[in-house]
Amino acid sequence: MNPFFWRLVAFLALPVIGRAGEPAPASLSFRNDILPILSGNGCNAGSCHAKQGGQNGFQLTIFGFDPAADYLEITRNARGRRIFPAAPEQSLLLLKATKRIDHEGGERIKPGSHDYRILVDWIRQGAPLEAPGEPSLQSIAVKPARGSYRKGQRQPIEVTALFSDGSKRVVTEYCEFQAPLKTFVDVSEEGMMQVGKTPGDGVVIVRYLDQVAVSRVAVPPDRTLPKSAYASLPVHNEIDRLSWKRFAELGILPSKPCGDAEFLRRASLDATGRLPSPGRARAFLADPAKDKRQRLVDELLADANWADHWATKWRDITVGNTQRIGVKPVYLLDHWIRRKFQENTPYDRFTRELLTAQGSSHRDGPVALFRDQRDPEMLSAYVSRIFLGVRLDCAKCHHHPSEKWSQDDYYQMAAFFNSLKSKGQNFISAPISGEPEELWFEPGGKTSHPVTGALMKAKPPGGSELPIPEGTDPRAVLVDWMVRPDNPYFARAVVNRIWGEFFGRGIVHPVDDFRESNPSVNDELLTWLAQDFVTHGFDLKHVMRRILNSALYQAGSLPNETNVADNTNFSRSLRRRLPAEVMLDAVCDVTGVRDSFDGLPLDSRAVRTWNNLLPSVFLTTFGRPDSSADCPCERMLSPTMTQALHLLNSEALVSKLAQSDSLPAKLAEGPMPTPVLVEELYLRVFSRLPNPEERTIAEKIFPASGDRRKAAEDLTWALLNSAEFVFNH
Amino acid sequence: MNRNCNGHGRRDFLQTGLSALGGLSLTEMLRHRAEAATPAGSDTRCIFIWLDGGPSHYETFDPKPDAPDGIRGDFKTIPTRVPGVHFSEHVPKLAKAFDKFTVIRSIAHNQNNHGAGNHYLTTGRPTPVPVGCGAFVTFHPSLGSVVASDRGVINGMPAYFNLGSMTRSGGPSFLGASNAPFVIADNPSQTNFRVRDVSIPKSLDPERAGSRRRLREELDRLTRIQESVAEDPAVAFDSYYEQAYRLVYSPGAQAAFDIGKEPDTVRDAYGRTDLGQRLLLARRLTEAGVPFVSVHYGGWDHHGDIFKKLKDDFLPKTDQAVSALINDLHQRGTLKNTLVVLLGEFGRTPKINPGAGRDHWSFAMSVLMAGAGIPGGQIVGATDVKGYYANENVYRPEDFAASIYTKMGIDHGQVLHDTANRPIQLIDRGHLIKELFA
Repeated sequence: MNPFFWRLVAFLALPVIGRAGEPAPASLSFRNDILPILSGNGCNAGSCHAKQGGQNGFQLTIFGFDPAADYLEITRNARGRRIFPAAPEQSLLLLKATKRIDHEGGERIKPGSHDYRILVDWIRQGAPLEAPGEPSLQSIAVKPARGSYRKGQRQPIEVTALFSDGSKRVVTEYCEFQAPLKTFVDVSEEGMMQVGKTPGDGVVIVRYLDQVAVSRVAVPPDRTLPKSAYASLPVHNEIDRLSWKRFAELGILPSKPCGDAEFLRRASLDATGRLPSPGRARAFLADPAKDKRQRLVDELLADANWADHWATKWRDITVGNTQRIGVKPVYLLDHWIRRKFQENTPYDRFTRELLTAQGSSHRDGPVALFRDQRDPEMLSAYVSRIFLGVRLDCAKCHHHPSEKWSQDDYYQMAAFFNSLKSKGQNFISAPISGEPEELWFEPGGKTSHPVTGALMKAKPPGGSELPIPEGTDPRAVLVDWMVRPDNPYFARAVVNRIWGEFFGRGIVHPVDDFRESNPSVNDELLTWLAQDFVTHGFDLKHVMRRILNSALYQAGSLPNETNVADNTNFSRSLRRRLPAEVMLDAVCDVTGVRDSFDGLPLDSRAVRTWNNLLPSVFLTTFGRPDSSADCPCERMLSPTMTQALHLLNSEALVSKLAQSDSLPAKLAEGPMPTPVLVEELYLRVFSRLPNPEERTIAEKIFPASGDRRKAAEDLTWALLNSAEFVFNH
Repeated sequence: MNRNCNGHGRRDFLQTGLSALGGLSLTEMLRHRAEAATPAGSDTRCIFIWLDGGPSHYETFDPKPDAPDGIRGDFKTIPTRVPGVHFSEHVPKLAKAFDKFTVIRSIAHNQNNHGAGNHYLTTGRPTPVPVGCGAFVTFHPSLGSVVASDRGVINGMPAYFNLGSMTRSGGPSFLGASNAPFVIADNPSQTNFRVRDVSIPKSLDPERAGSRRRLREELDRLTRIQESVAEDPAVAFDSYYEQAYRLVYSPGAQAAFDIGKEPDTVRDAYGRTDLGQRLLLARRLTEAGVPFVSVHYGGWDHHGDIFKKLKDDFLPKTDQAVSALINDLHQRGTLKNTLVVLLGEFGRTPKINPGAGRDHWSFAMSVLMAGAGIPGGQIVGATDVKGYYANENVYRPEDFAASIYTKMGIDHGQVLHDTANRPIQLIDRGHLIKELFA
């Protein structure tokens, strides 16, 4: 459309702007007036015109992050047919939005409504991108920004946009509202908060164009408990003091402490991934010493199985798919991680060695990480998420929808990884390892912003720009920043991850999603843990010792009347299904018969499997992470139906039990009296002795004389198929 | 704003709650579902036959008798049920059954290695990063996993089976373990074949299995936290055990798994081969209500000696088994709600290589589709005279996947959320293959 024509139309149209009883909007702009309408009505939602390729040929940028592109799309593209200045109401944009002609998205805007009239007026005014000298949007303010509410209360939110010239505008109706923690607070599309029925902290996220703000919601309990209720609780260390303090605010009490058997089983599985042997269980249960739990914790952390168990967890988040990066690099990185855990390498040094790796993919384990996360952009997202707990991924293409992160943050982080060179075969035809790839640092890399083209200076998210000295690998500068004692992210991210492994969820949850709009359940506790970790030389075992020795970790799993609805504050031990490898190893330990795995020595334990594609019906059924995912970190721990079928019916399990050299068979054929045999099996599977009623039921199935094997097999099978075995509790 | 473009929530699906149907048998349940006001296609099942490696379009459904030497190949053509349409001489039974299916000759894409091609055709999305030829990768949920997540488990019957080796990209991705395929790798043409895990182990007599079950019930004493606010996973565990037992003790479901119940004449008709018996088992499973069965048949990567291998082995086996399946479904009246799909990840090169093989060629491939209202005797699209490029009514893998989802009653434009809660459209710009909806 000829611009002159538009000016002419605008000129002709001018006299009719004003309408009786309504002030004529002086001059409307696309940026400040139209874009909010498109956003507020969902036109540029990720599922509508902002999805890849747009909808029906009409494409907007997500959340309007590129107003110039949207302006072009509306006013010029498709031969300018979307607006019709000569008869604004006949513009395709309006015909569609009001569903006067067929629109898959339905009627988004009512004819004659406020939004409708603004759109008509804007088109009539010549559809300008911006008004001359117009102020730009600076930020938004949410009212109330924080508050304490009664259960079930309703509270409207008001959002004000603040502009560069100091002017303000109420924009509530054009905002998007999200409430991620619906237990505490939910929110309507119009911004009405609905407070939930559970005490705790919630949050409402408000987005207006590319601005994000948060309204924090505290829901105190109907009644709190007297101080004396907390005074009598055991305090083993600072974790307990800070937890009881938080519980007092929430009006909840921790569950009664767990018994010795439960502690033994829970701590052994969590710390080493193994069930205690019957001998150890008997000795521990019989030990009258007061400090036996502390001694057990020390033993477990010194146990040789500790390293493999925790290496598996780091492998989950570090090692890529053999099919993408080759067998050999995956094997080497897995091996490297195991060695580092065997040496209990301090976490700062572990991180430095991994993130500043150079060398050959076929010789130096950590290089595999850079073979997998291939470019500065991938590394920006990956390193932020795994080592800082910050998810920048969304900011690669647009401003993060619920956080402060922008594309600047994303590409400034990427700039730390722009000076890597590689040579050799980069991706390969699996299952062969391909040729080696050499990776090295070479100064002079550049990173530019994808939209503005501006050169990006290296800056970590939430930090300030870090100068890169001449000839220095920017990755080393980044690690220097990470391991500074006052770094706000690094230590918190890893102690939270460790916490999540012991408690089934993080203090911030998910464990790698720290952001203002995802509050922690106990900030003081997280801060203390992080500081304690740094002061103690980034020693992972130190954090674990603190956790294992706390009275909080040693709480029972059954609720009391104050904490039955608490699934997030750790006031009772949450039941967690055993991870695939731990469960398979436990089945093998109990039956005394090992599985065999491709590429591993005979009789290897499942925890030694070094990649997640090694064939195993059992491990697949109980879930391994998808090593080709962007972040290969998700491990599904929920029970499924196929798991139940496998435990119930698998020929593999039945034949493990029926084998003549299986443990139950050997026990049954040995001299052990039946009552002791029953005890032995209970200790093996549940790490506890049977109670009298259980003894009676179990002993009843054994014949008075003759072959006891069947009975021993049946009892073992029944115990393995119980919730008490399948869950850590 | 999680509503999708046409104003529906992303999971506005018919979800039959187990609790509501507690005591019904499988047949009653199916009838119940059929009678409920279900969206179009929601009772359709799919048998997805995956020819891993990439079958040649020349030697199957798109022969080019007029192409020059070096392209044409060794095989002659034969007429089909439909005048003017010719197939390769080595699929005579399919040629005779052509009145019951459509062949699309014009699906084309640009992912020319196995890893990427597998991902594209079994998930409807290309891989977001380049992957190696041998790659087994999963970046997006497979067709089967999406169907499983839509339909859910009914009376313990897994919703998605994979017969044969696990298809490379057949996994659930971010939809989670409960939507992974139930893989039956064993070969049902062997006499001792049994479907794993779904029945009482053979080595256990039923009486002993029963007493084990009772013992388990007596000894599984971990206190369950019954209050739903406590979200006790042990309660979920119980419900899965209950479903599993329902499956084990459901005569209908158990009969479906027992391929030995099939008369010899039928087993012979499918061919006593791995593929033949897998297709027969797939038919039994779909008839028992399983909505998605993927059948894996590998080895189609014929870089050498293609004519001999196809003529002596691959084509006769495929011709017999697939034609038998389609004819059988037709005779049993179940073809109308069973979608049968036959394809691999790409077609093969026009030029025959010095080893008498053909290499990877993603610019043209043929796909067979039958049932669920798909017209019989129809050819969709075409390649050029030498078979290089799809050049009429060209469709993308996205269109193919969108059409399958639509047949299954699933909105292919719906927005899913990955584990980072990022919205991802199920299929990106899928356009229905309109000829399948005539």
